[in-house]
Amino acid sequence: MIADAASGVALALRGEGDPYALSRFLRQGDALASAAIRVLGADALAPYALDHRAGPGGEDETVVREALAAFPPKPDASDVSVWSYRGLVEASHAFLPGGANQWPPTPQAGSAWVATDPWPKLAHRVSQLAALALPGLASSLADELTARTDDLARGFVRAVRRRDWLQAAGLGRWLARLPEVPPTLGLDSGLGFVRQMCGGDARVTLHVVAAQRFYGRGW
Amino acid sequence: MVTGGRGDPELLDRLVGDSLGWLDGARASFRLPPNVTTDADPNLTLKPLGELAELTQLIAAAHPRADIRERAAGLFDFAWRETGEGELFAELVRGEPHATYPVEIYGAFAQAGRRHAGVEELVRATTRLRSWRVARDDHTRTLGVLNAERRIGLAPHTDFDAELAQTGLGRLPEPWALDRKAAYGVTHDVFHLTEWGRARRRLSPEHAGYLRLWLPAWLENWLAEQLWDLVGELLAVTACLPAAPYDPVAWQRLADAQAADGSVAEIGDPTRPDDPAEAFTACYHSTLVTAFAGTLARVASDEAAAGVWDGAGAMLTGCIPCESETAP
Repeated sequence: MIADAASGVALALRGEGDPYALSRFLRQGDALASAAIRVLGADALAPYALDHRAGPGGEDETVVREALAAFPPKPDASDVSVWSYRGLVEASHAFLPGGANQWPPTPQAGSAWVATDPWPKLAHRVSQLAALALPGLASSLADELTARTDDLARGFVRAVRRRDWLQAAGLGRWLARLPEVPPTLGLDSGLGFVRQMCGGDARVTLHVVAAQRFYGRGW
Repeated sequence: MVTGGRGDPELLDRLVGDSLGWLDGARASFRLPPNVTTDADPNLTLKPLGELAELTQLIAAAHPRADIRERAAGLFDFAWRETGEGELFAELVRGEPHATYPVEIYGAFAQAGRRHAGVEELVRATTRLRSWRVARDDHTRTLGVLNAERRIGLAPHTDFDAELAQTGLGRLPEPWALDRKAAYGVTHDVFHLTEWGRARRRLSPEHAGYLRLWLPAWLENWLAEQLWDLVGELLAVTACLPAAPYDPVAWQRLADAQAADGSVAEIGDPTRPDDPAEAFTACYHSTLVTAFAGTLARVASDEAAAGVWDGAGAMLTGCIPCESETAP
């Protein structure tokens, strides 16, 4: 189900297929659909970041509302979980009309780790937050990560060498958003390489397509 | 977290000292057999002895501690004696006049002033041939040959910089595309370029910047694979950078891989094969590399303590003892 939804998002980002509707892949009232949205995070709404917002009161809104209600961050939730949830909330605010009901408020997510994590740990966390690499989302996080660009690039190198395509694609997507990626990294070829090597993995492909569509990097 | 300042001299000196202790005890295994110039496997005879000479000479010249220098110098002298004070190379060149390895190994002795007039007369004849200048498959190896020519005082058979530009360092390849063989290539590009850390300023700012960016990622990969000789080589390359960074975690992991007897296996945990010959083959290279890398890191650490570098990686004061500005 996650793979199908990820493929649907990637297809929409490439401008192929029918106009995007999240509710075509993930239906309301389905607990698994909520779980899938939790995994995809803000990416569930990524196609709406392009141009066409969802219509008011649509099924997409209901499906997202259900997911947000099903998985609110617990008090002891990790920073990654909170950021991921926050990403979906931010995306809902930005890309869904909201109708009569207000969306949940944007939760505070800790970011002290951005400055203090050793680079391998930082890279792992950031790759888990790949869905936040969308225009307008998590701007403060993007600003803070800019100072760790070289470390994220090192994480990309390590991930590709370990053939951890999902981590590599997530990091590559964030690097595509950051302004000063070291040229010797070869980010564009790297994203293309990861896409070819991942054997068609839907989530990896989604990250690479997002990097290309939103930030013009990779192929 | 990588620190840009001082290393841990105590840990580094223990690593180097214990490695040299094991190497000293392994002299019998470095000894050349009577059939060395005929049917012995050079990978088990000349290669280990050549490495012993190359790396102990550097340690004997560069290490700040006299006891360590003395021990390394003893091993270097032993290696020279094993070659019959150079006579071996005359035999090797007469046997294989077009092979590069006798010239490369002799170069390690020649640069330290251990010379043999007969060998030099021979190699002047063999290296002036057009055939010596035919391009070799491996550009990194060609840098090694060029370095040997320079050490012996022969004319370079091709242009060093042009050759460097073709290598895994010169091309600045995508850092994520580096496989194991390419990694050994990059480390040796640096060793040949910098005269094994003696002339670190030959590393261009562009190459130094590339290495400074990507070495931490490569180290992390090969630490995970416990490939200790490559870990040691990458740490040695790190120590060749201006204002060299010091990675305490990587050094501690290398120290943990050193067995109580001072040996470091090429791969895996510190358990050793029971057979002494197998144990020697499994350990001599990594143990030498550990002593070499620890020496370069110690020199870099002393420089950091003495404030030799400014914040931008430029050298503020004069040369360190082993730095040489001779052109390649």
